[in-house]
Amino acid sequence: MATVEPTISAPSQATPPPSRGSQISMGMLSMMFFIGSEVMLFGSLFAAYFFVRFNVADQWPPLNSAGEPFELPKIITGVNTAILVASSFTIHWGEHRLKHYGDRKGLERGLLVTMFLGGTFLLIQVNEYIHLGFTPQDQAFGSTFYTLTGFHGLHVFVGLTLLTLCYIRVKRAHDFTPQWSTPLQASSLYWHFVDVVWVLLYILVYLV
Amino acid sequence: MATHAPTHSDPSGHAHHVDPRPLSYWWKRATLWSAGSFLFSFGLIWFMRTIFGMDPLWVSQVYVTAAASLTSIGFLIGIGCFDWWWQWMTGRRVDGEDHSMHGAHSWRDYFKVNTDHKVIGVQYMAIVFTFFVLAGLLAEAVRAELFTAGQTLGDGETYNGLFSVHATVMIFLFVIPAFAGLANYILPIMIGAKDMAFPRLNALSVWMLIPGGLMMILSPVFGAFSAGWTAYVPLANQGGTGTTLFEVGVQVVGASSIATAINFLVTIFTMRAPGMTVWRMPLLVWANATTSALVVFGTPFIAGSQFMTLFDRVIGTQFFDPAGGGDVIAYQHIFWFYSHPAVYIMMLPGFGIISEIIATFSRKPIFGYRALAFSTVAIAVLGFGVWAHHMFVSGMAAWLRVPMMITTIIIAIPTGVKIFSWLGTMWGGKIHLKTPMLYAMGFIGVFVIGGLSGVMLAVIPVDIQVTDTYFVVAHIHYVFVGGSVFTIFAGVHYWFPKMTGKMYNETLGMISFWIIFIGFNATFMPMHWLGIQGMPRRVSAYDERFEAVNQFIGIASIVMTLGFLVFFYNMITSWRSGPKAPWNPWRGRTLEWLVSSPPSLFNFEATPQVVGGPYQYGIPGARHAVVFAPEEIGGELTETEKRTIVVVADETVASAALIDEVRHRASEGLWRFTFAVANEDGDSRAADRRLQVALSVLAESGIDASGTVVEGDPFAAVAAVSAEEDVHEVMLATYPTGMSAWMADDMVDRLRKSTGLGVTRVVVRPEDARAPLSLPGVSQVAVVADEGLGTAGLVAALRERADRRPIGVILLSPMNLTGPGWTDEAEEARSAAFDRVRAAIDGLQAVGVQSRGEVLDGDAAAAATIAVTGHRADEILVIAARGGRLESDEALAAVRAAAGTVPVERIVVDAEAPASPSGS
Ligand code: HEM
Ligand SMILES: [Cu+2]
Repeated sequence: MATVEPTISAPSQATPPPSRGSQISMGMLSMMFFIGSEVMLFGSLFAAYFFVRFNVADQWPPLNSAGEPFELPKIITGVNTAILVASSFTIHWGEHRLKHYGDRKGLERGLLVTMFLGGTFLLIQVNEYIHLGFTPQDQAFGSTFYTLTGFHGLHVFVGLTLLTLCYIRVKRAHDFTPQWSTPLQASSLYWHFVDVVWVLLYILVYLV
Repeated sequence: MATHAPTHSDPSGHAHHVDPRPLSYWWKRATLWSAGSFLFSFGLIWFMRTIFGMDPLWVSQVYVTAAASLTSIGFLIGIGCFDWWWQWMTGRRVDGEDHSMHGAHSWRDYFKVNTDHKVIGVQYMAIVFTFFVLAGLLAEAVRAELFTAGQTLGDGETYNGLFSVHATVMIFLFVIPAFAGLANYILPIMIGAKDMAFPRLNALSVWMLIPGGLMMILSPVFGAFSAGWTAYVPLANQGGTGTTLFEVGVQVVGASSIATAINFLVTIFTMRAPGMTVWRMPLLVWANATTSALVVFGTPFIAGSQFMTLFDRVIGTQFFDPAGGGDVIAYQHIFWFYSHPAVYIMMLPGFGIISEIIATFSRKPIFGYRALAFSTVAIAVLGFGVWAHHMFVSGMAAWLRVPMMITTIIIAIPTGVKIFSWLGTMWGGKIHLKTPMLYAMGFIGVFVIGGLSGVMLAVIPVDIQVTDTYFVVAHIHYVFVGGSVFTIFAGVHYWFPKMTGKMYNETLGMISFWIIFIGFNATFMPMHWLGIQGMPRRVSAYDERFEAVNQFIGIASIVMTLGFLVFFYNMITSWRSGPKAPWNPWRGRTLEWLVSSPPSLFNFEATPQVVGGPYQYGIPGARHAVVFAPEEIGGELTETEKRTIVVVADETVASAALIDEVRHRASEGLWRFTFAVANEDGDSRAADRRLQVALSVLAESGIDASGTVVEGDPFAAVAAVSAEEDVHEVMLATYPTGMSAWMADDMVDRLRKSTGLGVTRVVVRPEDARAPLSLPGVSQVAVVADEGLGTAGLVAALRERADRRPIGVILLSPMNLTGPGWTDEAEEARSAAFDRVRAAIDGLQAVGVQSRGEVLDGDAAAAATIAVTGHRADEILVIAARGGRLESDEALAAVRAAAGTVPVERIVVDAEAPASPSGS
């Protein structure tokens, strides 16, 4: 997928500068709107969940085909939640190193640890799926559970991809300085968002 | 010459690096990637199902879902939407200011990925109008089925498929993206930006429409998608595979909308030119900001609802299946929580367009700017709290009904505020009834009807009676066709000159409007009655007693379709060969009118400065923005916001002498020219035809000129212009002293005294004022005529041509002399011919068409040769008197042979009828 080697030097001066009415970084602003949109996506899935839970079901969790209530692994998932929450701090630490100390190595480490924690979270989640004993086809309970956690898992995956890209940019393109690191900030904002959603999901779906 | 940048095709001397890869490369790559990912998706699913031991191995829904999604992604990768990001992702060096895919240099650039918002805007419009035609054909198929009470086309399932796909394509692939396309072109220029915030994302958005749209339009082939555009469960879960394609297609198109909306929001938030505070933003910008917020926060709900139905269909989840503890009504809640705001997604941008047009064509500041802005936001906010008015009879929680009725009725208030603001703007304004204004006014009328039927539907008892009947169909179409489609058409006409650099044909525009307007009302008005009488919607066979009305509707819908055909004919021919558009044909104030048509590669040479509100029509000295010249010209930024020279003329307006003088003054680079044709007692259509000739010639030379016909004397003409513009000087074109009534009245001195401005006089000889201009911008029509010369038919034919584009006419009268030219008979024939030529010139002059004539000894073919070689005619018109010698086919063939490639047309007229001097 070769693009012509960028031989662009003249146009970048010749192009008139963008007219800016405001100093908000475009990248961050777009990420905020995007997250707003994602919030609404989860909102629609949660809405379905609430309808099923409060509008239809007589008891929650409902009974499975064997006549026993469905069970969710609260403890293991609790540990998993802690792992994901921790990863929010590690990414923040990485950003902090870059911002205040110009420490690119620190950023790299922060990213690596975060990605490791995120990956662990996903693995534990997959493991949970394997051992749950019910499937998405098992009543609306199964459907809402898998769709909510599945969509969240997908978002963790997207977050991990973003972090990986940031890592590649730091490593190979030596991007990001204390003054400019918009893609990194945006990715980390997204990561925090994925975390917050999980905490909500854990509380609403697993605990209460 | 003006100091502004040349147009589009010339990147104004920038060292603009252009991507060298040809069109075929991209399309080959797209084909390969699409085919590859199609096969890959099958392999992948087969592989996964084998590994996990899923049984059976072949479940068509699963394969279709995977194939549709992955092929879309493959296509987008192949066509090149991700190339730049791929470089970035793999850690290579990239240039953020890479403009190698920016701007169109030939038509080919419109068929590949381009990052220029102007090219993308045009791509959007081309794509959405294609879908408009397809969905329109489906609508006619629906009407064909309903022409008789019984079942005719296929079975009920076919019919369900027809109306479902019709509605889906109209909504998701015409109305929503059409507004995005118009705004894509106009909005960045309006706020003084060089482009959108994320040009590459912008390109991705437009290209996503293609796979998404194809999925929807092709869905019937795979088993009708038949649950209607609302895709209610459980019906949606039972339909054919087409439904799966619909559900995936909505995701793709929805993603495109969200991406565009984020792009608009960021563009509007961060890229406004200095001085453009929120209260100076044109109302179109307000409308698009609000709509984009609705898209960003609303569309995910339809995405969510379609994901869940897709899972129910494809992998057997139980979201909406009561047997498994699911909730059917939940689907409707989630769907309408998006889709009610979605109706405003389809209306608010239209409100924005209308605000622009009403202000410009009423020549008055908009009435209640802030009220209009706030009501837009209010509608959007309230719009999220009314969704259950679609569900009064669905069996939802009963306590929700009354609150939803109240909120729904309340939402009519901000809508009413808008209507009154527009009426207030028009009140006492100088209304110019051009096509965009006609559409805008038509919109107001029919939208009020649609809004009122909406309020009726909001009232629970009424709704229980008429829900799911044709009354709802009537409501929908009054707001969608009368609302969204009319505003899109208004916008397309309004910005057509800016987007294409050509003028559309005003007469055809008006004809199309009237046909569509009448056809539309005849089609949808009777549906109110049908609904109240109880004819249910979405059925193919109905009660006999409704048949007559349905047949009337069917015929009316064909009338409306004819109107659309006229529209398309007008747009396509004008785009190909219309007269060149001036910078500012409507004398608008917003920034897009202060740059050339079409705008240069980066719209502005330097960042413009906004200094006032956008709609201060009629306020002397008021200004919206200042546009600066590029550095190369001024050394440093020079202000070139030009002051106006008012050119006052009557019959003299299209004379060579006046054009020369204007060109000469234009070379000083300081002026813009506003022509005011003072029409004291003549025919104002004739005056307008002459004016268009002058404007077209000046547009061809790149001079910023606009003009209007003013009923009254030169004082009235100057006053009309100086009420709105910063006038510096008056240029008065008159006949020589002694021949001119104005000079006899001492006009120069009196004007100077009464206006306090300098007056330059340009003297035009009467024969010059009548003579056709042979300059670029005027097409030369040679008329070869016998006794038909000097008849009313000739005048009518040329007048009709002059309404299409500015023309100059050369009248050639061949005498067909066979013997010597000095005999008495020859002399007699010659003087008769001269009389006819003179009469024709007079007749044409009266309708504002300039002409001159020649009498020739030879025959028609010789005349045609002279027309082509001597006069470089663009078109030859043979006017044959009935029964005369030119009526024969040999004569026509001889003319055709002599004309070579120049088109020849023959018109047969009655020689008896004398030329009517008053024309129209
Ligand atoms: C004054 C403003 C409006 C009010 C009070 C209003 C009210 C309503 C109500 C109560 C219904 C439900 C009818 C039923 O299904 O029984 C309805 C349906 C509908 N309205 Fe409106 N409406 C308004 C404006 C609009 C606008 C501006 C649009 C779009 C541009 C629109 C598009 C629709 C559509 C598409 C439906 C039918 C949906 C379907 O079932 O297929 N409405 N409206
Ligand atoms: Cu609604």
